[in-house]
Amino acid sequence: MRRAVPFAVAIFTALLLQTTVFPKVTLAGAKPELMYMIVIILAMLEGPSVGAVIGFSGGMAQDFLQNAPKGVTALTLTLLGYTVGLARTYIVTPSPLLPMMLVGLGTFGGLLFYGIVSALIGQLSTGWLYLFKIALFSGVYNGLLTPVFYPLLKRISEGDRSRFLFGR
Amino acid sequence: MPSRQKARSTRLLVATLVSISLVVITVDYRSGSTGPLEAFGRLALAIMSPFQKGVSKITNPIGDFFSGLARLPTLESENARLRSELDATQSQIIKAATDLSRLATLEELLGTKAALAPETVGAVVVGSSVSNFEWSIIIDKGSSAGVSVGAPVVASPGTDAPSGFTGGLVGHVVRTTPYSSDVQLIIDPDSQIAGRMFSSGETGLIQGQGEKDMQMNLIAASAPVRLGDLVSTVAFQAGDVQSRYPPGIVIGKVSHILQDAGSPDKYVQVRPTVDFSSLEFVLVVVNQEVAP
Repeated sequence: MRRAVPFAVAIFTALLLQTTVFPKVTLAGAKPELMYMIVIILAMLEGPSVGAVIGFSGGMAQDFLQNAPKGVTALTLTLLGYTVGLARTYIVTPSPLLPMMLVGLGTFGGLLFYGIVSALIGQLSTGWLYLFKIALFSGVYNGLLTPVFYPLLKRISEGDRSRFLFGR
Repeated sequence: MPSRQKARSTRLLVATLVSISLVVITVDYRSGSTGPLEAFGRLALAIMSPFQKGVSKITNPIGDFFSGLARLPTLESENARLRSELDATQSQIIKAATDLSRLATLEELLGTKAALAPETVGAVVVGSSVSNFEWSIIIDKGSSAGVSVGAPVVASPGTDAPSGFTGGLVGHVVRTTPYSSDVQLIIDPDSQIAGRMFSSGETGLIQGQGEKDMQMNLIAASAPVRLGDLVSTVAFQAGDVQSRYPPGIVIGKVSHILQDAGSPDKYVQVRPTVDFSSLEFVLVVVNQEVAP
């Protein structure tokens, strides 16, 4: 896949911003979850199979940067990328708010899933209330950041099809 | 039909990726922090940290500028307060220096050896945890500077200040690469530290609670605990388990006391003295023998 390089750069940049800039700019104590946002947006643009692959790679990269049980983020994001990629084909609204809504809801659902899997293996040490709060505020934060990142990712996604066809 | 075939291959792909994830979860869960996957973790850390260092070098001054703007109204009064504190501290330092020389003389007379002062390495905080569910920082010193897993980390009083222990406890190193380390903060829910009340000498176990104040357990209901009491690390040894931190490092102050009727224990909350949201420099203790 020729686009593997730009996708890898996107994943790397997300991890870098997530660990350096955004810990200082939180929304009600919650950081955004940039990897969730990237996976959802690219799954929307590319469909379920690319969504799943990017979810898996991005999730694994994120897993290995933390001390939490490795593989849970990869599992979450693989399923999230696949689900969003499938759901996209059934949603017909042309609303420009759609990416924001999908990213917000997808992040919320994805984080809850992550928390439930972590709890199942006895690794959710933060408690359910905190999980819900983070899912909510990270979802909102991700939704608000979508207008910034969506055009960039769209450019990457369309990069090799046509260099000059940006936007609609 | 080709589209049906495509959907099938996609499902196969997803099933494969999910299986790999499950295998990784299982292997990691069973092997803990010593497993083969830990090497990949160190690799990821080693790759990321130089870039994190670069980014934080650029963004830290910008962040400082904006937080400085927000704090501008209070700066003048803070300045005055700090100056008076500085005067007080300087007189204390002079007194401490005289005490130290007296102590040295007495020790010489008695033929005892002074406890080895912990050797420390200064490090810059280059990044924070990637996740919302972990409280850790990445620092720019690793095994090549003598940092080892389990090493205690304390807040640095400043860039050019001498390495003293005026700062508070930050946490301990959980992962090292040659040029960077991952430090688990004491506010992480997985962190547990033995602590002692400065005034009453009461000891207990302090557990991180994330953004909330830490919780100190095992405090007897009859123990005299007051709001604002200082809590510091305490040395202990129980069988093979030895405390990770040198004794006497300030952890925090008692911020909340709740007494449950009928409960044999007090519910005590401790607020860390270190402001983890604006931590930029830390000191890592490098020469002491620690349990990982």
